[in-house]
Amino acid sequence: MSYYALLFIAGFAGSFHCIGMCGGFACALGADARGASATSLRHVLYNIGRLSTYCFLGALAGALGQVICTSLAADSQRAAPLLSASLEVGQRALAVMAGLLMILMALRFFGVRAWHGGTSGFGGSTLVVSLRSLLGRRGFAAPLALGVLNGFLPCPLVYAMLAQAASTFDVLAGCLSMAAFGLGTFPAMLAMGGVGRMLAPSWRQRGVRVAGSFILALGLVTLSRGVLPMMSGHGLHHIWHFT
Amino acid sequence: MTSVPDALCRHCLLPVGRRGFTRAVNGEGCQFCCYGCCIAYQVKNGSADASEAAWFLVRLGAGSFLSMNIMLFSLLVYSGAFTGADQRVLPTIHLLLWALATPAVLILGEPFLRETWSQARRGRLTSSALIVLGSLAAYAYSTLAVFQRGGHLYFDTASMVLMLFTLGRYLEAAGRARASRDLAPLLAAESELATVIEAGQEHRRPVREVRAGMLIRVKPGERIPVDGLIVEGRSHTDDAVITGESRQIAKAVGAFVLAGSINLDGPLLIRSSGAGGESRWAQICRSVRDALRQSSRTQRVADRLVGAFVPIVLALAGITLIYWAQRLPLDEAMLTALSVLVVACPCAVGLAAPMAHSLGIGQLARHGCLVRSPGALEALAGIRLIAFDKTGTLTSGRPQLVDIASDGVGEEELLSRLAGLERHSEHGLARAIALAASARGLAPLAAEDVQVLPGRGLRGMVHGEAVAAGSAALMDELGWALPPALFERTELMAAAGHSVVFVGWSEPALAGRARAALSFDDTPLLEARATVDALRALGLQVMLLSGDHAGAAARIATTVGVDDWQAGLLPEAKRAALDQYRALHGAAAMVGDGLNDAPGLAWADVGIAVGSATDLARETADLVLPADGLWLLPWVVARARAVRATILANLAWAFGYNLVALTCGVLGLLQPILAAAVMAGSSLLVVLNSLRLERLPGPCHPGVPQSSAAARPAGEPGPPAQGRSRALALLKAES
Repeated sequence: MSYYALLFIAGFAGSFHCIGMCGGFACALGADARGASATSLRHVLYNIGRLSTYCFLGALAGALGQVICTSLAADSQRAAPLLSASLEVGQRALAVMAGLLMILMALRFFGVRAWHGGTSGFGGSTLVVSLRSLLGRRGFAAPLALGVLNGFLPCPLVYAMLAQAASTFDVLAGCLSMAAFGLGTFPAMLAMGGVGRMLAPSWRQRGVRVAGSFILALGLVTLSRGVLPMMSGHGLHHIWHFT
Repeated sequence: MTSVPDALCRHCLLPVGRRGFTRAVNGEGCQFCCYGCCIAYQVKNGSADASEAAWFLVRLGAGSFLSMNIMLFSLLVYSGAFTGADQRVLPTIHLLLWALATPAVLILGEPFLRETWSQARRGRLTSSALIVLGSLAAYAYSTLAVFQRGGHLYFDTASMVLMLFTLGRYLEAAGRARASRDLAPLLAAESELATVIEAGQEHRRPVREVRAGMLIRVKPGERIPVDGLIVEGRSHTDDAVITGESRQIAKAVGAFVLAGSINLDGPLLIRSSGAGGESRWAQICRSVRDALRQSSRTQRVADRLVGAFVPIVLALAGITLIYWAQRLPLDEAMLTALSVLVVACPCAVGLAAPMAHSLGIGQLARHGCLVRSPGALEALAGIRLIAFDKTGTLTSGRPQLVDIASDGVGEEELLSRLAGLERHSEHGLARAIALAASARGLAPLAAEDVQVLPGRGLRGMVHGEAVAAGSAALMDELGWALPPALFERTELMAAAGHSVVFVGWSEPALAGRARAALSFDDTPLLEARATVDALRALGLQVMLLSGDHAGAAARIATTVGVDDWQAGLLPEAKRAALDQYRALHGAAAMVGDGLNDAPGLAWADVGIAVGSATDLARETADLVLPADGLWLLPWVVARARAVRATILANLAWAFGYNLVALTCGVLGLLQPILAAAVMAGSSLLVVLNSLRLERLPGPCHPGVPQSSAAARPAGEPGPPAQGRSRALALLKAES
C-alpha cells in the first residue's frame, strides 16, 4: 500500500509541474455560466477524463511488461535447465530501462535537457490546435473529452510514471499505479480550476523541484531493482517492504 | 540574472526563464515559459478554422473515455484478474462492459451510421458501411452473449475499431487544417471584419459590406481589409499576401494601401477606394476557394475505384465468414470476417490527393502564385513543352531607347528638345525618352502649344521652333523632308524589330525636316535567360510564340536562349502552332501576360499568366504568377511535380497497403483491433507523406544579393533598375 501512497505523493508534488503545463487548460476551462455546481462538474469531469487516460495508459504499460515477462518465461521453460534465469534477466532489464527513463525525466525537471523535441512534433501541436476549440464548447462532453485528450499530451511526468507502471509487470498494478499518480494530481488541478493562479511562481518552481526529486528517487529505486542482486526476481512487493 | 531583462511568457506573463522557447502563433512569434503555456495559449487564441476537427474531437474524447474503460476491464479480464475467488463478479463486469459499450458504440458509430444511411439512400455503398457493419456485428454478438451468459465478449473490438477510425478521421481533419494553414490569410477576406467609422462611431462590419469612400480604422497588427488611401497615420505594411514578397514598406498619409496586407506598426485611418468585395485580395480569396472545391482527375479516378472497392470487400467478407465458419467456431469466423471488413477501408485512398493539393496550392499562394484548380497543378507536372509569349512575358513590356540615327545633330540637343515635348504625352515611348534624357543628365527644354496627334505622334514649339516627333507619315503630313540616308537606316532598325520615331524641327526661315530617328525596343527581362535555362534543366522544351515581327522575336529568342521560335502569329495561329508542337512533344503550357494571349492560354494544357490583369474573375489562365514573377516558374513546375509524385506515392501506398492487409485479413492473420489500427496508421502515413511537401525549399531568385552587385560579372542578372540600364548599354554597343 505504501507504494501507491508514494506514487500519490509523487503525483501531488508533480502537480506543481501540472499547474505550469496543464493548469493552463484548467484555467481556460473557466467557470460555467450556470453556477458553481456546474463549474465544479466541468472541472471534475475534466480531471476524471485525465485520470481515465492515465489508468488506461498504465494498464497498457503494465500489460506490456506482463507480456514481455510471460513470453520470456515461456522461453525459459523451453530451456528448462536454466531455471527462470532469462525471466529474471528480462525483469531486470525492464527495471533498468524504466529506472533510467525516470531519471532522465527527473533531470528535465531540474533544467537538464537530455534531448530536444518530442513535445513539438506533429501530434502534439495538431492536438493542441484542435483542443482549443473544445474549451469554448458548452455541455459536459467537451470537458470530459478535453481531459481524456489532455492525458495524451506529451508530458515527462506521465512518461516517468508509465515507465514505473511498466516495471510492475502487471495490468492491474500498472493501472493502479497510474491511478494513484493521477489522483495525486487532483487537488492542485481542481484548485487551479477554482482559484486560478494563486501560487507564486517561486512556489511553482519549488514544487517542480520536489516533483523532480521524487521521480529521481523512484527512478533510482527502480534502477536498483534491476542492478542490485538481492532485490531481483521477487516483484515489487518485496521492494516496497524494503523501502 | 542576465543583463537583458527577461521576456515574459505570452500566456502566463511570468518571466520566460531558461527553459523558455518561442513558437509562432497566428503568424507572430510568441515567447512561452513552458510547453503548457504554449498549448494553452494556442488553445485560447489560435484562429478557429478547425471546427470539423473539433467536432470529431468531442466524439473522440467522450468515446475514448468509454472505450478506454472497456479496454481496461477487458484487459483485466484477459490478464486473469477475475479468477478464483473473484469469479463471481464476472457477470457484473460483463454487464458493466455492456453498459459502457452501448453509449460508446452510439457516440462513435453515429457519424459513420449517418453517412452510411445517407449514402445508401442514394444507392451508394461507402467505406463507412464496412465499419458500421463490422462494429455492429461485434456489438450485437457480444450483447447476445452477455444476456445469454455465455460466449466471448467483443465489446473492446467494437468500440476500439470505431475509436481508431474516429481517430483516423480526426487526423484527417487536423491534417487538412494544417495543409490549409498557408491558405488561411488568403481565405480570410471572406470572414474578416473591418472597423468602419460612420458618424464618428466605430462599427465592425464584414469586409464585403464596405463601399468606396468609407473610412476604415486599422490597428497595428491587423490586416488591412480594403484597398484605399491613408488619411491619417503612418506605418509599415507587409504585402506578402498579394505580391508574395514579404518585406516592410513604409506608408504615410496619401499612400495607397492594398487589401490583405498587414499593418505592422502604426494605427491607420484609410479611405476605401473601392468596394470590399472587389479588392484583389477578395478576388484571390474567391479564386483559391473555388480551386480547393474542385477535384482533380486523379482524385475522381481514385474515388471511382473506392466506390468499386466496397462491394467487393463486402463479398469477400461474406466468403471469409462462410469459409471459416465451417472450420472454426462461429465467433472466431465472425472475427476474421470483421478483420476483412475493417482492414479494407480505403480511407487513405480518399485522402491521397486532396491534402497534397491544398498543401501545394497553399505554398504557391504564399509566394503570390495562384492556382485556379487542383487539376492545373497535376497538368503542370505532366507538361513537356513551355511556350512563351514575348511582350510583357519574357520582356519587360516597357520600351527603351536603344539607338539614335541622326542627320547632323547632337544627341544631347535632340534629346533635350524631345524630352520637353514628350513630357506632355503619356505614351510608353514618351516615358522611354524621358528616362533616356534623365539618364544622360539632360534637362528637358520648355515646350509650348503641344498637340498630340493620335496614332502619328505629337508636335509643339520649343524656343520658337516647331518640333515634331512621330511616324514617317507625320513628317510627310507636315511636308518635312526625310533625308534618304536617314530613311535607309530606319529601315534596318525596323527590320530588327524596333519601333522607330522620327524627330524633326524647323529652323528660323527654313522649312522643317527630319533630323534624326530614334529606335526603341522592348528589352528582355533580366531573369528571362536564367528562367529559360532552369526550365530546360527540368527537361522541358522551351519555345517562343510571338505575335511580333520576326526580327524582334529572333533577337529576343537569341538573348534569352530559346532556339525554337515562331513570329508574326495571330491568336488563331498561336493555337495552331500549339497543337502542332503538342503532337510532337506532348502536353504544352503557354505563358503569357494574360491580356493579349487569353485564347492561347485557354487553349494550352496549362495556361500561365504572369503579372496578370487586375480582374482575376476574367482571367482564363489556370495559373497566375505575380507581376515580375517569371523567375518563379521553374520552382512552380518543380513544386507541381513534387505534388504529383506525392499523390502517386500516396495512392500506391494506400492501395498496396490495402491489398496486403486484405490478404492477411482473409487468411485470418489479423486481429480486428490490429486491423483497425493498421488502417488508421495508413491514413496517418498518407498525411505525414503529404506534409513532407512542407519541407521542400522555397523559390530562390536567380539574382545575387543587391549589396554585391558591383562584384558581379557582366551579363549576370542583377537588381532591376541597374540591370536594365546595363542592358540598354549592351544593346547600344551591339547596334
